[in-house]
Amino acid sequence: MSDAIIAVSELTRRFGTKTALASVSVSFARGAVYGLVGANGAGKTTFIKHILGLLRAESGSVRVFGLDPVADPVGVLSRIGYLSEENDLPGWMRVEELIRYARAFYPQWDDAYASELLRQFELDATATIKTMSKGQRARLGLLTALSYRPELLLLDEPSSGLDPIVRRDILGAVIRTIADEGRTVLFSSHLLDEVEQVADHVTMIDAGRIVLSAPLKDIKDSHRVDGRTPTLDEIFVGRVGRSALSG
Amino acid sequence: MSSPGAALALSFSLRHRWGLVAIGVTLLAVAAVKVVTVFDRFPLDLDPQVSFAIVCTVPMSLVFFYLVAVLTFGLDGDLAARQSMYPARMFSWPVTSTALAWWPMAFGTVITGLLWTLTRQLAVWPPSIQVPVVWPGLLAVVLLAWAQALTWMPYGLRGVRVVIVSLWLVTIDTIVLLALYLNASEPVMAAVLVPQIPLAYLAGRYAVTRARCGDIPDWALGSRISALGLGPSAESREPRAGFASPLSAQTWFEWRRAGRSLPVWVALVIPFELLLFWAVGTSTKLLVEFLVIVFATPIILAAFTAATVSTSSLNATPGDGLPAFLATRPLTSADLIAAKLWQTIRSTLLAWLVVIVSVAIGLVWSGASAVVVERVGALAHAIGTPRVVALALLVLVGFVASTWKQQVQSLYIGLTGREWLIKGSVFVTLTFLLFFALFIEWIVDTDHVGQALSALPRILAVLAAIKMLAAVWIALRMYRSRLVRDSTLVIGAACWCATVVVLFGVFVWFFSTPMIPHYFLLLIAILATPLVRLSAALMALAWNRHR
Repeated sequence: MSDAIIAVSELTRRFGTKTALASVSVSFARGAVYGLVGANGAGKTTFIKHILGLLRAESGSVRVFGLDPVADPVGVLSRIGYLSEENDLPGWMRVEELIRYARAFYPQWDDAYASELLRQFELDATATIKTMSKGQRARLGLLTALSYRPELLLLDEPSSGLDPIVRRDILGAVIRTIADEGRTVLFSSHLLDEVEQVADHVTMIDAGRIVLSAPLKDIKDSHRVDGRTPTLDEIFVGRVGRSALSG
Repeated sequence: MSSPGAALALSFSLRHRWGLVAIGVTLLAVAAVKVVTVFDRFPLDLDPQVSFAIVCTVPMSLVFFYLVAVLTFGLDGDLAARQSMYPARMFSWPVTSTALAWWPMAFGTVITGLLWTLTRQLAVWPPSIQVPVVWPGLLAVVLLAWAQALTWMPYGLRGVRVVIVSLWLVTIDTIVLLALYLNASEPVMAAVLVPQIPLAYLAGRYAVTRARCGDIPDWALGSRISALGLGPSAESREPRAGFASPLSAQTWFEWRRAGRSLPVWVALVIPFELLLFWAVGTSTKLLVEFLVIVFATPIILAAFTAATVSTSSLNATPGDGLPAFLATRPLTSADLIAAKLWQTIRSTLLAWLVVIVSVAIGLVWSGASAVVVERVGALAHAIGTPRVVALALLVLVGFVASTWKQQVQSLYIGLTGREWLIKGSVFVTLTFLLFFALFIEWIVDTDHVGQALSALPRILAVLAAIKMLAAVWIALRMYRSRLVRDSTLVIGAACWCATVVVLFGVFVWFFSTPMIPHYFLLLIAILATPLVRLSAALMALAWNRHR
C-alpha cells in the first residue's frame, strides 16, 4: 500500500514467556478512521506503543510516515496526537501552563483552535491538573492532542471509565479530525459500539494476533445471516469465542 | 487472613522479601565476625573507633534506616508531597483507623527492639565500651515511631514533611546526646524515651485518621489569596510569552518538577548552620570547620535531591518507567537529557548563590569576618595574592562542581526506570563501600600504608584507563544507535578534553613542587572530570524510552 501512514510487518514482541504480539502485519492508509478492537490484554496497547516508538520491535519492522519511530522520535511524534487511558498528565501543572508547554513542541499549534476547545470542554485555565476530575483530565489530554491538528490521532482506550458526556466529546473529536482532509485516526477500544459508530475500518486482535482486518462495511456484509446484520460485538464473539468486554 | 496485622505482615514480607533477606545476611555476617574473632580467637586487631564502626555500626545503621523507610511506607511515594504517605489503598480496609496506624507502628516497635537485642548479643563490642542494656533500643523505637507518625501526617505545603521530620528527629537525638554528655544513667535515659512512645502512637493515629478522611490542609499563599477573591481572574491574566524552543520548554518543565528543591532545602538549612559563626570567637580552626560544614551542605542535600532529578515525573517513584507523557514529547533523548542537565546547572548555581550570600551576611553579622580577613591576609603574604585568589576560586568551583556532579551522577541508574537495577545498584554500592572500608582498615592494620601510597599512581592510571575505555565504548554505542549527532559527539569530547586540560593547568600552577609528578595531576584531572556516567545517562534514558 503506497499511501500507508502506518506499515507494520511481521512484528513480534514477548514479555518474558508471554507473547504479546505474534508476527503482526498490517498497514493503515491515510485519511480514514481505524478501530483496533480486542479484549483486555489482547495486545492493543502493545501495538500502539510500537507505533509511538515506546517499545522497540524485537523482530519485524514498524514504519510510521515511512520513518522508524525509535530511530526518529521527533520526526514521528511531532505528527502524532496521542491520548491514552492512563492520561498521565503532570498533576502539579495548571491548565494554562500545560497548554503553553505543549505548544512549544508543535510549530503548527493553532491557538484559536486550542481556545475554542478550552471553552467547549469547559476547562478552567487556572485549575491545577491534580484537582481535576478524570473526565476533565481526559478532555485536557484531548485538547493538547488535537490543537496542532496532527496528521495521525492515536487514541488508546480513551473512553474507558469515563462518563457518556466525555465519551461523546472524544467521539466528536474523532469525527472533527476526519473532517480535516487527509488526517487519520487509530482508535483502540473494547467498547465495540463506540468503534462501530465512527470506524471505517476495523482490526480485531486476539492473543497478539490479528484475527480480522477489513473495512467495517465488508465485515458486516460478510457476516450477514438470514438478512440480519450482526453487531460488531456479535462478530467479535463469533471470531474470538468471547466478548471483548469480558476480557 | 485472620487480622489486619497478619495482612500487613504478609504484604510487607512479600513486597520487601529481598530486603529481609539482606537484613538476615547482614545479621549473619555480624554474627560470623563474632564467631571468628571471639570463639576462634582470630588475631584481628580491632581498633574500637574504626573497626567497630565498619563491622557493626555501619551495617546495623543501614539496616535501621532501611526499616524506617519500609515501615513508614517511605519507599512507596513522594516524601515531599502534601498528602499522607500512608498507602491510600489500605484506607478501604474494613478496620478502624487506630488499627491501621498502630499495627505498622507495633511491628516497628517489635522489630527495632529485636534488632537492638540481636545487635547487643551478636556484635563484637570493644572492651572499652560499657554496652547499655535498653536505651539504644528505646531510642530506635522512639525515632521510628515518630518518623511513622510524622510521615503519615498530611501537610499544607509541599516539602514541609521533610523539614518537620528532620528537625523533630534531630531534636530527639540532640536531647539524648545531651543526656549522655551529662552522664545520665540508664533509668534516666529510659525515663526520657519511654513516655514518647505513646505520644508518637497517638500522633500516628491522628495522622492516619486525618489522611483517611482526605483532610489535606492548604497553606499556600497563592491559594489563600485566590480563595479570598483577591487574585487575578482567568480572563484578566495576560497570556505569558511562549517558549523559545522545545528544549527551553522541557528545561522549564524539569525546573518546575525538580529544580527548586535544592535551593529551597539549602535556604532552609543554612540559616541554622550560620548560628555556629557566633561561636567562632577568634578561633581560625573553628571557623574553617564551620565553613566546611556550611559548604558541604549543598553537596549532601544534592545527594537527596538527585533522586528526584533522576525520576521521570512528580507522580512517579524511582522504579517507574518513563511516563508516556514525557516519552511521547517530540524531542530527541539527547534533548530530554540536556533539559535535565540545564536544570541541574541552574539549580546548583541558585543554591550556591544562597550559600554565598548567607555566608557573607553571617560572617559580617557574627563578627567572624575579622578572622577571615586576618587569615586571608596572612595567606596572601605567604603564597602571594594570585595564588590565594586562585585557591579561593578553585575551592569554590570545586564545591559547586561537586554539588552539580552529585545531582547528575546517578542519572545513568535512575533513568533506566528499572526498579531491580536501581535497588541493586544501592546494594552493590553499599557492599562495595563496606568491603573497601574493610580493605583500607586491613592496609592500616597490617602496615601496608607505604606500599599502598607508592602504588597509588598505578592504581589511578588503571582507573583512568578503565574510564577512557568505558567512555570509548559508550561513544561507539551512541554513534551506532544515532542517539546524538556526530557533531555533538565531537563537541562533547572536545569540551571534556578542554576541561581536563584547564584543570590540569590549574593543578600544575598551584602544586608546582617536584614532590608531585605532573602525570599524577593529569590522572586526577581525568578522574575528576565527569564523563562516563554522564554519557551513560543518555543510553539509560533511551533504554527506558524505547523498551
